[in-house]
Amino acid sequence: MLKRTLIGLMSLLVIGGAGFAALAWRPAIAPITPPAASSFAPDLIARGEVLAGAGYCATCHTAPGGAPYAGGYAMQTGFGTIYSTNITPDPQTGIGAWSEDAFRRAMHEGVARDGSHLFPAFPYDHFTRLTDADVAALYAYMMTRTPVRAAPHENGLPFPLNLRPLQAGWKLLFFRPGRYVEQPERGAAWNRGAYLAEGISHCGACHTPRNALGAEERGNAFAGAPIDHWVAPPLTKANPSPVPWSQDELAAYLRRGVSRFHGVAAGPMSPVVHDGLARLPDADIAALGVYFADVGQAAARAAEAQPAIERALAVNAHGPGLPYDPIARLYAAACASCHFNGGGQVNALRPDLALNSAVSLADPTNLIRVMLYGVTAREGAPGIVMPGFAPALSDADIARIAAYLRASRTSHPAWPDLEKTVAAVRAQGRGQE
Amino acid sequence: MIRFTLNGRATMVDVDDDTPLLWVIRDEIGLTGTKFGCGIGMCGACTVHVGGRATRSCITAAGSVEGAEVTTIEGLDPHGAHPVQTAWKDLQVPQCGYCQSGQIMQAVALLKDFPHPSDEEIDTVMTGNLCRCMTYVRIRAAIRKAAEANHG
Amino acid sequence: MARRMNPGAPVLTRRGFLVASVGAGVGASLAFGFPRGAAAAMDPAVPGGMPPAETEPLFEPTLWFVIDGEGWVTVNIIRAEMGQHVGTALARILADELGADWGKVRILHVDTDPKWGLMVTGGSWSVWQSFPLFSRAGAAGRVALIEQGAKLLGVDPSACRVENGTVFAGGASIAFGEIARRGALDRRFSAEEIEALPIKPASERRLVGRPVQALDIPPKTDGTARYGIDAKVPGMVYARPKIPPTRNGAKVNGVDDSAAKAVKGYVGSLVLDDPSGTVPGWVMVIAQSYPAAIRAADLVRVDWTPGPTSAVSEKDIQDHAAQLIAQPDAGAVLDTGGGDTAAAFKAAQSTLEQTYTTATVLHFQLEPVNALAFEKDGVFEIHTGNQWQSLILPTLAKALGRPETGIVLRTYLIGGGFGRRLNGDYAVPAALAAKALGKPVKMVLTREDDARFDSPRSPSVQRLRMAFGAGGEVTAMEHDAAAGWPSQVMTPSLMPKGANGVLYDPFSISGADHWYSVGAQKVRAISNDLANTAFRPGWLRSVGPGWTNWALESFMDEAAHHAKEDPVAFRLKLLDAKGRNAGSAPNAVGGALRQAEVVRRAAARAGWGVPLPAGTALGLATSFGQERDMPTWIACVARVRVDRASGVVRAEKLTLVADAGTVVDPDGARAQVEGAALWGLSLALHEGTVFERGQVKDTNLNSYMPLRISDVPQMDISFVDSIEVPVGLGEPATTVVGPAIGNAIFNAIGARLRHIPITPDAVRSAIG
Ligand code: FES
Ligand code: FES
Repeated sequence: MLKRTLIGLMSLLVIGGAGFAALAWRPAIAPITPPAASSFAPDLIARGEVLAGAGYCATCHTAPGGAPYAGGYAMQTGFGTIYSTNITPDPQTGIGAWSEDAFRRAMHEGVARDGSHLFPAFPYDHFTRLTDADVAALYAYMMTRTPVRAAPHENGLPFPLNLRPLQAGWKLLFFRPGRYVEQPERGAAWNRGAYLAEGISHCGACHTPRNALGAEERGNAFAGAPIDHWVAPPLTKANPSPVPWSQDELAAYLRRGVSRFHGVAAGPMSPVVHDGLARLPDADIAALGVYFADVGQAAARAAEAQPAIERALAVNAHGPGLPYDPIARLYAAACASCHFNGGGQVNALRPDLALNSAVSLADPTNLIRVMLYGVTAREGAPGIVMPGFAPALSDADIARIAAYLRASRTSHPAWPDLEKTVAAVRAQGRGQE
Repeated sequence: MIRFTLNGRATMVDVDDDTPLLWVIRDEIGLTGTKFGCGIGMCGACTVHVGGRATRSCITAAGSVEGAEVTTIEGLDPHGAHPVQTAWKDLQVPQCGYCQSGQIMQAVALLKDFPHPSDEEIDTVMTGNLCRCMTYVRIRAAIRKAAEANHG
Repeated sequence: MARRMNPGAPVLTRRGFLVASVGAGVGASLAFGFPRGAAAAMDPAVPGGMPPAETEPLFEPTLWFVIDGEGWVTVNIIRAEMGQHVGTALARILADELGADWGKVRILHVDTDPKWGLMVTGGSWSVWQSFPLFSRAGAAGRVALIEQGAKLLGVDPSACRVENGTVFAGGASIAFGEIARRGALDRRFSAEEIEALPIKPASERRLVGRPVQALDIPPKTDGTARYGIDAKVPGMVYARPKIPPTRNGAKVNGVDDSAAKAVKGYVGSLVLDDPSGTVPGWVMVIAQSYPAAIRAADLVRVDWTPGPTSAVSEKDIQDHAAQLIAQPDAGAVLDTGGGDTAAAFKAAQSTLEQTYTTATVLHFQLEPVNALAFEKDGVFEIHTGNQWQSLILPTLAKALGRPETGIVLRTYLIGGGFGRRLNGDYAVPAALAAKALGKPVKMVLTREDDARFDSPRSPSVQRLRMAFGAGGEVTAMEHDAAAGWPSQVMTPSLMPKGANGVLYDPFSISGADHWYSVGAQKVRAISNDLANTAFRPGWLRSVGPGWTNWALESFMDEAAHHAKEDPVAFRLKLLDAKGRNAGSAPNAVGGALRQAEVVRRAAARAGWGVPLPAGTALGLATSFGQERDMPTWIACVARVRVDRASGVVRAEKLTLVADAGTVVDPDGARAQVEGAALWGLSLALHEGTVFERGQVKDTNLNSYMPLRISDVPQMDISFVDSIEVPVGLGEPATTVVGPAIGNAIFNAIGARLRHIPITPDAVRSAIG
């Protein structure tokens, strides 16, 4: 998710002077005594819980092994480390003293109760789309969590980048506040999907490229971007997967973490599916499918699916039929027993590498990452694992297999400097899960 | 502390997350039917099932099976009489036997995905399992026999 | 491995047989303070390898088996089990002769005790060697049981017969168990009596030659079989070595383990001091768990002064071999019946000379070598899988500075032998570490360690020459073979003298002294001293014939083409069984005629002479196995398809016909030939490495690529029905596949390959 979000602190150079100071200033909102849990309607809390899931609040606001929502999760940014805050209703260290107005202002405008500007690592640029009613539900849910006393962690940003008022400049440049606007001609499901994707689920935070100041490029929504040492693939028609992402494929993937024709939800996408979207009802998942099938123009590409599947199965049929090519033998011995598909079928649990997104992406990072570090039982298809070859195979061997897959399973150009990329990915380590 | 289910029993081990599952199973838990051959995922001697799928335990980090169901050769059948094991005995597949736990675990998984495997399916899926005694002719035959037994 | 390694092999008179009933717990193992069976032996047929307790009293008519009060027959096996089901084969011979009920036969792999005599498993001769011994042991038991049974039944022994574990006399009968329970046997056979014991004729055999379930197989399908790597004792620590840059002569200057100290469970690093000189320059990295030992060893830095061969390459070794061959007086000349080859070549109408080479080959047995060592009650125990206990015991004694009687080896199942575990060198570092630390040490080598510490099959160079007379007849032949010699490095005292008085390694030349009648014949065995110092040459499945037969049978084909004859017809003509090739009792009855017969049958079964599509052809090769005096006759026809453009050779079918005398275990025999033939295919087309800077280049499966299931061709294996002496089957098929493939490639595309493994590149350049 947003761990790697760049922060536009460079705005200091763009805007200066007293006018800026005036603009940057926001009033504090008076503290309150935390409301009693019983003051919130249970169905409102329940609705908030779903939304909190869809927004992956716990993923970013929980430190590894720490209490839920108590913050302290470290996010590496290009500028330094930012730690997430405590959003339990503890009055001193959390948001217990925040009124609903203060909470709403934070969600919609990126301003804390005390008037300070929040870093856009907190995706208020998406949450601003949420209806007041949904913000109220989230407030009800958060205020009924168990309060945890956990002082906020000092952020690791150097001066002057740590000056919160500077965020105002960034906002001035890039932030467009405003609620989601329905497009009735698109139908209810599409609108529901768009509302979730652009709002609470902030899909663009990972899948939309960012400019030099860390803001999402407006004209380039969902065009794919690097994120946390992974690549968030394009969700537009630029997505290079041989089989286009249809509505059903998307829904299956977002529901279970596995897509027959694309692979599994690994890396940062895994908690999105398994911890976040898991709370959404099927209808909402289906709505996301409708919306992204449209974003990716699946309908226009539908005819590509069957030929791609047939091509993939034909490559499978080579199987170990290249017995004296050492690279093919390496693949046959290390990979084929799990990834081979036969009998005219693609089995979702035998991810087909001719179809898998990672092999077709312009950037080999995701493929290399999965080869090196595997996929745990908590990620991807739940309960099963892909082992990691990091301790087993050299950079050269990993690069040879990746190059072989690229050449034998796609018509895309070879990846340049593969061995170096493998070394770089290895140097980054397994990373946070 | 890593928790998972091993052969149907809740199991807890205190090892580093990146300890290979193979050694956890063999040395910490003491089930030695799972073997060490190459340590790089290319011989299949260490094959176990994780979530029912054949998995090379030598390169599987223990931490990655947290919450999962792991089955070893010892847990395949209480009497060692899984149809694949029976076919293996009937056709006297093993020679030194060292690779055979892995072969059997892989074959069981193969038959789950390919209940009527073609020659090509057998060869491709089993190619990751090296048998240095070269019992391959019998492995093929025993898989076919087990497939028949499954469908009677 | 061959019979010559075992000069004291089965001489029945050496110990005679003791027939006596033994009291409770009186077992041979008591010499070392172990209760009989329980702690000192392995039963591969039971979970965990622990033999079940016997029901007393025990009836132990010979050293080789015991019958308990329940009628269970436990056969003592001194051979190592590594896939050949040797215990089953031997027990079956004994049980057949004894008249036992196969359902009540168990096998027990015993520990090392001097009473067992020489302990070695190799050369495919376990069955061959043990057949008379175990038959007579069974017969002795049967005689004793009949005598006692007759007494108990009150009848005359001549009225009794034995079947299914029971002595019958007319309508009355008494089971073995009851005889054991009630009997007080005391009976000795003199050596002469034993020799005279009646052995059943083949027609009365009930077990030998019939399909029987091997006793070791069920535990090998459910994870309960115990291999060396599974051995454990309380309180043991794990060790992984740091292997020095050269096999010989390396010295440790210093060890820096500062980085390893961060590894949880790291205990320390130990520079080994090895009086036996087996593992010079070794450092053992000790940890509480094996993964910790692996990780720590990767982080320990050792400063070595390598031995003098640290720059040696494969090419250096092979160039040196070629130079040695060029020296006319180098090496040992075998006694091949004489004849003046020099004169014959001078007088020849035409001559043919070719040179053949083979690459370094790793054993790559699937279970990396390992050993658990500890001292207990004054005895040093070594728990490991080993093929030749008698070889390593003296070395261990030297290393540990204690008499052999203070050391016991407990043999576990072997996860692949192929000759690697004839050389028990891996027991030494474990023992030294256990001694130094004063606690049990379990050493396991990683695959990479195992490859670097392997005793690989030496690369070889061979030059073959043939002289032809005016009518195209063969008048003389010379075969010079140079390679590293395992015997010279490991068992120099067992080397025989050649006709020119020079000692030689029989295993590194056997196969060259073939059964073809070629007129004057000269066979020269040359030790490659550079190979012998750069590494420790090993015995690898089929040993010498693995390279001699590659050269011989490729050359025979070339000679046939030179003489413009069909390769099969050419061979049959030379396999005339004349003179020294006539064969003799007991093992080589029929001689070269039996080899001719397998050639004929293999050619016929494979469809020799029937046209095939372009690029596809048959090739034939034959062999007499490992040793002239225990020949296993075998022939192979390979059908290959060659893709000219890529140079890829695909073996489509192998047809093998073997005459191995009596086949004790038909299914096991077939399994051995299947395995051996596929090894041959792997050696011909898939595996092989090279020395680079004093080390083998390939150390794991990412670059060492042995045959896998998808490479397996169709196989047609058959045996000649025979009641001759049974001989080994574990190796001979290995040696015929390579040359059969080389010959088939020539027949397919006219290109001759003279090096194995055959690579697509080599095929393309041979096409030219
Ligand atoms: S030991 Fe795991 S694949 Fe070889
Ligand atoms: S039976 Fe020995 S490795 Fe397969």
